[in-house]
Formats: sequence, structure tokens, C-alpha cells
Amino acid sequence: MAFASKRLAKELHKIHGSLPPGIELVQAEGFDEWLLDIKVLDANPLYMNQTYRLKFKFSSSYPIVFLIEPPEVTFLNLPDRPIPMHPHIYSNGIICLDLLGQQGWSPVQNVESICMSLQSMLTGNTKNERPEGDEGFVKHNRKRPRDIDFYYHDNTV
Amino acid sequence: MASKANRDNLQEVEDSTDWLNTPLAPLAAVESALRCQVCTEFYTTPMITSCSHTFCSLCIRRCLSIDGKCPGCRAPDQELKLRSNWPLEEAVDAFKKARSGLLEHARKPVIIGRSSPKRKLDCVQENEADDGPRKRTRSSSKRTATASQQTVVVDSEQEDEDYIPNDGLVACPICNGRMTEMAIDRHIDQCNGIPPATSDSRSKPRASATFSTSSKTFSKPERLPHLSYSMFKDNNLRKKLSELGISANGPRQLLEKRHLEWVSIWNANCDSKNPRTKFELKQELDKWERTQGSAWVASNSHKPGSQLLDKEFDGLAWSSAHDDSFKELIAKARRKPPTGSIAPPESQSPRNAVSDDAIVEATPPRTTDYQMGGYSAPTTTLSSTSAEQLSGDLVAGLKNHDLPSRGPATADSIANMGDVAIRKSNMASARPLQP
Repeated sequence: MAFASKRLAKELHKIHGSLPPGIELVQAEGFDEWLLDIKVLDANPLYMNQTYRLKFKFSSSYPIVFLIEPPEVTFLNLPDRPIPMHPHIYSNGIICLDLLGQQGWSPVQNVESICMSLQSMLTGNTKNERPEGDEGFVKHNRKRPRDIDFYYHDNTV
Repeated sequence: MASKANRDNLQEVEDSTDWLNTPLAPLAAVESALRCQVCTEFYTTPMITSCSHTFCSLCIRRCLSIDGKCPGCRAPDQELKLRSNWPLEEAVDAFKKARSGLLEHARKPVIIGRSSPKRKLDCVQENEADDGPRKRTRSSSKRTATASQQTVVVDSEQEDEDYIPNDGLVACPICNGRMTEMAIDRHIDQCNGIPPATSDSRSKPRASATFSTSSKTFSKPERLPHLSYSMFKDNNLRKKLSELGISANGPRQLLEKRHLEWVSIWNANCDSKNPRTKFELKQELDKWERTQGSAWVASNSHKPGSQLLDKEFDGLAWSSAHDDSFKELIAKARRKPPTGSIAPPESQSPRNAVSDDAIVEATPPRTTDYQMGGYSAPTTTLSSTSAEQLSGDLVAGLKNHDLPSRGPATADSIANMGDVAIRKSNMASARPLQP
């Protein structure tokens, strides 16, 4: 088994075994794409009683994934799974978070830690707003999230 | 949920979660502390960084050769500064040895109630298969309990450091070697940590093991230096690879990647307590070549001119993403500027028009009043308001491009827009995409 799939196999094993509260595995067929549900556990009025669906996409052409490349993580918009309101989450589900970018990524991150980071990113948020320029971005962006050059300026998250 | 085949596959993966759902659940934390965070395997030749994080030698060397940062905290570090973490390696080795027995022991009572019959069967088979002296599961001790003498043998074979054989000898406090009380005083005076050879093979303590490895270090191969590949021409690099005894075939970038990987493998092996032979290392490089190297070539070869671009650059998406904005710009350029409002460009530079808001408006602002030719743009009519609008247009255009920092295409399109635009839009474009 190649390095990446072996690592993913381990993560999957671990995820089947146990996940932190508020994180649930929905689907993980093979090592291409996994779906997980996350919930915000505290009483943040923005996210009360909501569940959000996360899609993890692991690139297959780069088996060195995880060593140098983060998985692609986006929120999915489904009838009962809205895109959470957050100044760093675009309404098409694309997330602007440094650890999901090439620069901020580190191989010690894993699916579980990403979910937890996103949970805490939502927990700490009080602004009921989309990022600046959301409409235009959602309308015009045809790029894969990893090709977008975000500029990470907000260190409060 | 995972398919059946997938799940069977997962059963073979050893992981710290194996301890959960057993009475020894706290051991999950112990085990995950003994695993490298990069490869999630047990540490192999753990090395400690300047920022006091620990990773497998090969993992940290690979990471540092990619971006020179510690994967744990993103602090910059160098391979030269890595140091071995011997005590951790011993802890890992000891835990690995104890693991299967412990796990078997821990699973026993749980299995009866919860686990599938298949697992039960497996465990029974395992018990019968490796009924070696090291396994001290309940069942095996029960079985051996009838033959009490055999039980004694089992105990004495344990690698128990506290074990004191009843042989009438005393142990040297320094080297742990056993000798008569008469001999011990003289021995202590000259003890160098190496126990005197005895016929008892079991009393070979750890000290001798560390000594044998330290003597091995003399014959250890030298670590390889990293090359700055830009200094090497293709032929020289190929020569270098053949000198190292590894394949010198393939495109230039693959050569560099291969060399980098070889240096990592080689140097990690130099750190190892039990170095492997060059042949084994080459097999590992072959494995890399088959899995990662070839895939890398496959993913890069279809892009002509890819050596000029970032390896992550998605060329197709780039051209499709900008298709609209290019068409838009062309369309704008074709729209004829209204006659009469064009003044000679030397009368006032567009730069001033933008930077100086106090400019008197000669004509009412018209957003379409500019030409794409740039330098022959209608400058006097370009009031501050229209300049604002112009740059607003550009910002919208740039949004389509996301940030113009990467590809060559945007550079060209910007050049077309003229100086005015660039100035203002560069300032403005720093905002819209930054969430």
C-alpha cells in the first residue's frame, strides 16, 4: 500500500472506531472522497441545531498527498445541510482557512483535526455574514479550491 | 459505510484505536504518543527537531527537504540540526514487543460478549499458533499451570530486567554482569560497562547492545549532502546519480526528485540503529519510483511547458476561468470611444488623474470613455470619478482572475489595461478576495 492510502486507511480505521463529539462519518468509500457531518456543540445562536456536511477530496494523482498537499475540504449544500454562515466561508461551500492551503498545511493534520478546527472556527464566530465579495466570487470562480490564492489576514480565528 | 473488502483490509491496520473497547483503553493514548504524526506508524529511528518535535527520520527529512519547516509547528529547521531520540526508540521497541500479547490479553474478556465469531476463532488460532514463551496470556498461563516446572521456565525467559537468577553470583552495579562476590571488587575498579562474557546467553544486558551499535557507527556510511540543483547541468546531475549508484534516466525534474528522495532514504538510514544494506535502500527507492515517482511523471508530462509553472498549476482550469474575462476585455476594447473627447496623452498623465482627486472635471464621467490601448487613453476626460469607475471595472475583472499573482496570462492583460488601471487596481485588488 502506498504511503498515502496506508495513512488514509489508518485514519479511516480510527474514524470508524471513535470520533470526537459533534463529528460523524457519513460516507467513506475508498480513498477518494469522504463525507462527514459536523455540528457546533455550544449554544452559538448562529449554528444552533444545525448540521453541516463536509466533503473531503483526496487527490489520486498525487500519492504524496498528506506529505505536501492538503485534502480539498468544502461544505456541501443539501436540503437539510446548509452552508454555515461565516465571514470565511463562501456561500458555495469553499472555506478560506490557512491550514487547508498549500502554505498552512502540515502533514501532522488529519481528517479529524481538520473537522475539529472547523468546528472551533464556527464556535468562535459571532458575525452572521459572508466574506467580502462573496457574490462575485461564487458567480465567477471555476477553480478548484486549492488553486485559489487566498490571503490570510485574519489571525483571530 | 465501507464495503466488506475495505473493512477486512482495515482490520489489518494496526492503530491506537485497537485499545478502545478493551479494558486497557488508556493505552490508546500511550500508543498514539509512540507513533509518528506524519506517517502514523510507530516511530522508526525517531529524530528530534530544534523545536523539540519528534518524527521518523525519513518523515522529517522528507518534510524538511520539501519546505524546510517542522510539520509540528511550522518553525523553520534544518536536517543538520536533527538529533536522534534514542530513549524514545527504546520505548517504541519495547511497546511494539509487548503490543500483540497485551492486546490479546485485553481483548479476551470483551470478545466473549461482543465480538464476531470470526474474531473469536482468530484469537483462538493465534493462541495456539504462537504459544511462545513471551506470550503470557491468561489462556497460556492456564495451560502451563499444570506443569509447574514449565511455568518457571516461562518466567525466566521473560526479558525482565529485575530478574535475579538464583545462581550464587552478584551483579555488577555498572555493567550488570554477574560474577562471584570475590571477583566483584576488582571488576568494579576496571568496569567499562561491558559485562564479562559468560556462558549464560540471557544475561546479556542492554549495555552490550548499545556498545555493539556504537562500534558499528565507525563503519557507518557518510551522510549525503543536498545539492542545489540549479548549479547542475543535466549531464552533471546524471553523472552524480550514476556515481551514487541510482538510476539516471528520466526527465530532469524526476532526476531531482529521485536524488532528493535518495538523500532522504540514505540519511535516514545513517541515523538508524540497524542500518540496512544499500541493496535494501535501492529497493525502497524503487518502491518510491513505482508509486510516487511514476505518478508524478504521469501527472506532469501532459502539460507542455509545465517546467515553467508551479507544479500544482491547473492549466485547463486557468484558461477556462479566464475565458470570460478575456472576452469581456476584448469586447470593451472594441467599443469605440466617443470622438472629440480625446486629448493628446502628453497633456496630463493618467497617473495624475488617478492620484489627484482635485482634478477639474472637463467632461461628465463616462465609464466607457477609455481605450484599451492604454497609453493613448483619453486622459483629460478621465476624471477622478471615471477613474474610480474604471478601476472598479478592473477590480471586477480581477475578481474573475482571483488574484493576479500566479499565471502569465494576467500579467499580459494587466499590461493592456494601462498604467492608470494597474496603479489603482493593485491597491484595490488587494481587498476583494481577502476574506
